[in-house]
Amino acid sequence: MAGLELLSDQGYRVDGRRAGELRKIQARMGVFAQADGSAYIEQGNTKALAVVYGPHEIRGSRARALPDRALVNCQYSSATFSTGERKRRPHGDRKSCEMGLQLRQTFEAAILTQLHPRSQIDIYVQVLQADGGTYAACVNAATLAVMDAGIPMRDFVCACSAGFVDGTALADLSHVEEAAGGPQLALALLPASGQIALLEMDARLHEDHLEPVLEAAARAARDVHTLLDRVVRQHVREASVLLGD
Amino acid sequence: MAEAAAIAAESLAGSKARAARTVLGQVVLPGEELLLPEQEDAEGPGGAGERLLRLNPGARSRVRVVCGPGLRRSGDRLLVTKCGRLRHKELYWVDSQQKRYVPVKGDHVIGIVTAKSGDIFKVDVGGSEPASLSYLAFEGATKRNRPNVQVGDLIYGQFLVANKDMEPEMVCIDSCGRANGMGVIGQDGLLFKVTLGLIRKLLAPDCEIIQEVGKLYPLEIVFGMNGRIWVKAKTIQQTLILANILEACEHMTTDQRKQIFSRLAES
Repeated sequence: MAGLELLSDQGYRVDGRRAGELRKIQARMGVFAQADGSAYIEQGNTKALAVVYGPHEIRGSRARALPDRALVNCQYSSATFSTGERKRRPHGDRKSCEMGLQLRQTFEAAILTQLHPRSQIDIYVQVLQADGGTYAACVNAATLAVMDAGIPMRDFVCACSAGFVDGTALADLSHVEEAAGGPQLALALLPASGQIALLEMDARLHEDHLEPVLEAAARAARDVHTLLDRVVRQHVREASVLLGD
Repeated sequence: MAEAAAIAAESLAGSKARAARTVLGQVVLPGEELLLPEQEDAEGPGGAGERLLRLNPGARSRVRVVCGPGLRRSGDRLLVTKCGRLRHKELYWVDSQQKRYVPVKGDHVIGIVTAKSGDIFKVDVGGSEPASLSYLAFEGATKRNRPNVQVGDLIYGQFLVANKDMEPEMVCIDSCGRANGMGVIGQDGLLFKVTLGLIRKLLAPDCEIIQEVGKLYPLEIVFGMNGRIWVKAKTIQQTLILANILEACEHMTTDQRKQIFSRLAES
């Protein structure tokens, strides 16, 4: 695999996409009957499932209840068959906890928690197939699930990853591009106002390059928003037709 | 193709604020902003001849627009917070599909008694907190004459207090002190859960489903606004059939429903 070019001279990536192009996204809402809200999303080969319960009573210790807003509890789990090698991941391991914390920060920014004080909203996300951009797929699936549950939100939350190769910013990285070791950035955006819910990067990137990478991620997140918008409208239309409106 | 184009056009138009009037009956999504009627007058074309003379030219005439569920006031606009269709009848609200119930004052609900502590019962209504029900809130109840309520009983009552800051309180009498159908629900029967939208549809005044169901078998039925339905017919089999029909009503079209009813009426 020596000399694997992430970006060819004509500007094509390993899977034939252009620098700023997203992978194919398909999503469905309301996949679980027993949960309050659920959604499934496929971004290229990355598949994620999100399930939402709430707002309900605080489980466990009552002391954790917040007097003026709801507690958002996010749990991330990755299936053993999701990566190339079958890996058994114990539930409380570092990566799951960190992802859960990032998802919680993202959704506390978007959900109107002041409307449900002293209660708890649970968001469970499971990655069924991981091919890069797992954080973005989890956030997109969880947004659809929270909307399916009817929990009031300020806006959509749309996320996308971005990287930097050969002087060009790439949007929506796949596993091959992430494993190559270049800088990667994950961005979660509230599209209507343009506000950033979460921005995460743990690599070295020259500050001159930060602007184009951030711009590529923001543009890709807005494209994701257009797609999710269409999915939600379709779902609401179908649901209201059956109820005879 | 036309559907796809219509959906695309709607989603692209959502980027700027639209007048609430023009969006009635259409799908709205969280993040969209809607203009209130008073905004439109200020920003519309100046009909100089029709304008009323105002004593204070700077102040805008204040029109009271109450936001219903799914809408919040942000500055001088309405922000949509739930996905659904926009409706208007005295106030604006978003008609959305939901399974989880949030207690609202005045709603009649079915609750399950979970605990008896001192003078009150704790009743699970499917919200984020159990509601409290005082033992004096039944018809003809006094300190000497306590109502016969056990843990696990079903109660049909209405909310006296229900807001986000306080624990919900329910009662089984109306403002005149009469039961009016509320109280402990009798023995047997089956309690099952449906979505809130289906309950609202079944309780609409002109709903045909309930009339058709009544013609099938004699039955007793109680609807709770928290998505719970209690049904009782003569035999267990009839009760189960009725429960299955009501649960399936959500996903069936009118024709499919009529087919099923006619098939059941024959057998």
